[in-house]
Amino acid sequence: MAAAPAVDARGLVKRFGDLTAVDHVDLRVEVGEVYGILGPNGAGKTTFLRMLFGLIRPDAGRLDVFGRTWARDGPATLAGVAGFVESPRFYPYLSGRRNLELLAGFDGADAATAATAIDRVLNVVDLADRATDKVGGYSFGMRQRLGVAASLLREPRLLVLDEPANGLDPAGIRDMRALVKRLAASGLTVLLSSHNMDEVEEICDNVTIMSAGRVAFHGSIDALRAQAPDPAHRLATSDDERALDLAAEHPGVSLTRHPDASLALRARADVADAYLIALGRAGIAVRELTLEVAPLESLFFMLTDPDRQDAGDRAAAAPVPSARAGAHR
Amino acid sequence: MTTTAAPNAAPNAASAAAPPGRARIRTVYRWEIAKLTAQMRTRATLTVCLVAPFLFVVLLDQQSQVPKDTLFGRWVHASGFATPLFLLGFATQWVFPLLTSIVAGDIFAGEDQYGTWKTILTRAHSRTQIFWGKTLAAGSFAVLTVTVLALSSLAAGVLLVGHQPLEGLSGTLLPSGRAAGLVLAAWATALIPLLGFTALAVMLSVVTCNSAAGIVGPVVIGLIMQLYSFLNGSDAVRHLLLATPFDAWHGLLRDHPYYGPLWQGALVSAGYLAICLAVAHTVLRRRDITGG
Repeated sequence: MAAAPAVDARGLVKRFGDLTAVDHVDLRVEVGEVYGILGPNGAGKTTFLRMLFGLIRPDAGRLDVFGRTWARDGPATLAGVAGFVESPRFYPYLSGRRNLELLAGFDGADAATAATAIDRVLNVVDLADRATDKVGGYSFGMRQRLGVAASLLREPRLLVLDEPANGLDPAGIRDMRALVKRLAASGLTVLLSSHNMDEVEEICDNVTIMSAGRVAFHGSIDALRAQAPDPAHRLATSDDERALDLAAEHPGVSLTRHPDASLALRARADVADAYLIALGRAGIAVRELTLEVAPLESLFFMLTDPDRQDAGDRAAAAPVPSARAGAHR
Repeated sequence: MTTTAAPNAAPNAASAAAPPGRARIRTVYRWEIAKLTAQMRTRATLTVCLVAPFLFVVLLDQQSQVPKDTLFGRWVHASGFATPLFLLGFATQWVFPLLTSIVAGDIFAGEDQYGTWKTILTRAHSRTQIFWGKTLAAGSFAVLTVTVLALSSLAAGVLLVGHQPLEGLSGTLLPSGRAAGLVLAAWATALIPLLGFTALAVMLSVVTCNSAAGIVGPVVIGLIMQLYSFLNGSDAVRHLLLATPFDAWHGLLRDHPYYGPLWQGALVSAGYLAICLAVAHTVLRRRDITGG
């Protein structure tokens, strides 16, 4: 018999009054996967994770965690599961270590076992030297790392992280991503929620993109890349008129007038390369070539905010993948 | 950051070791006691309970007048046993509701304030276990503060005034040993409505998710009840008020003690306890934790 998936949601619905925060969401995370839930703020990611942790109840649908459900198994559903929703919170009047000690006691660990485990997880997140300071004096990034430490204390099989890099400075983001990647590389199943395409692309194998409570895309990062439109660049040349004429001779190149008086170039990378070389050979100097929207970012906007009027260049938009119907594998 | 090998497919050791049922309530209880011990507010409250009676006796000793209008006030210079009874009469006005709600009114709402519901509710304990662990901790703190205040009042009276016999409410002198026993019994009767106020504070804490409402609410409600009892209102309503049982100890200080108000007060307090805790438990179990 095949092992139960780490997370298996079917037709999950959560309403807050007139607002449907999660609308018939299907999502499946296999054991060992590094899975991303991507979406803009308000897409329903955090509501979904709160249902996973039993903090709120779904109005309809089913959510299994390692084959267990809240309705049938109660808090035992969370055996082997750890993580945090939004930013992790602790008691500010206690030290980081004391917070972890109390949480370890909550999990049933004896003092000696807890002390060893706490030393280990504090080292993992690089907080050992500040462990005796009160959490009230911690920076946002330190609290995020303490949240990861508190999660690792439970020795989870599934680690759930909601916007782990949110509010961190660039160095903190780099460190947090590196930590998550190392944890994922060790075989842990990771469910990562984010509104940052780069973060999910860098860390995850598979992704569900949510928009307005619904699944807008489900599949692998590679499948997402395959559906992404060509990259959009802003191009400025020494002779825009001739550049436009030359573009007409290059199939696969879309060159239009850009609102700021330059040109908007959209083409696959190799086709764009050939076109730029041709410009040089024709004596047309390239004065500026700026990437406006990365392909995945462009696709993300199309999936989550089709009305968005920006450099994503809707005119050149690729067709939106009809992944919703087949979202549940 | 440096990482060690992360745990993988091994069963969750912590969860596997987690004890079931009542043992989990004990875990929550110990966790709450540890948190309370670390808080300045609870330490300050206990310190005040310990020191205030001594300060009161010293201040009273410097005055020639005694508070004659108050029960046992006229005897505070005559017998050290009058001091704890005088303070008991005063404390029932608003001090007891405040003492218990300092912790009980905050013990649930504090999790909302710090956004820590999600921290503790994601550790495989049920809301019912957390509810009872916290409620027991709040009740323990209430009993502890009143016990400290009672013993400190008795010690202040006996050490600073003396252990002379005490004149009871029927006018006869009670020997020291009997007076000491009655003083402790009188304070013990206050524990019953005190726990009713604890439950009221717990309910307000859960329902409002607001520490200020949880702490101030029971004090205001207690004062309104006191106010009603001073009015010429219906006796039936007065007997149903949670403040009324605080006066039940008067019957113990008579030559022929009567216990009717004690039993009645115990029933009323039990009613408040049951209703408030049932409401609080139901609200906590059904609540969506969306904040934090």
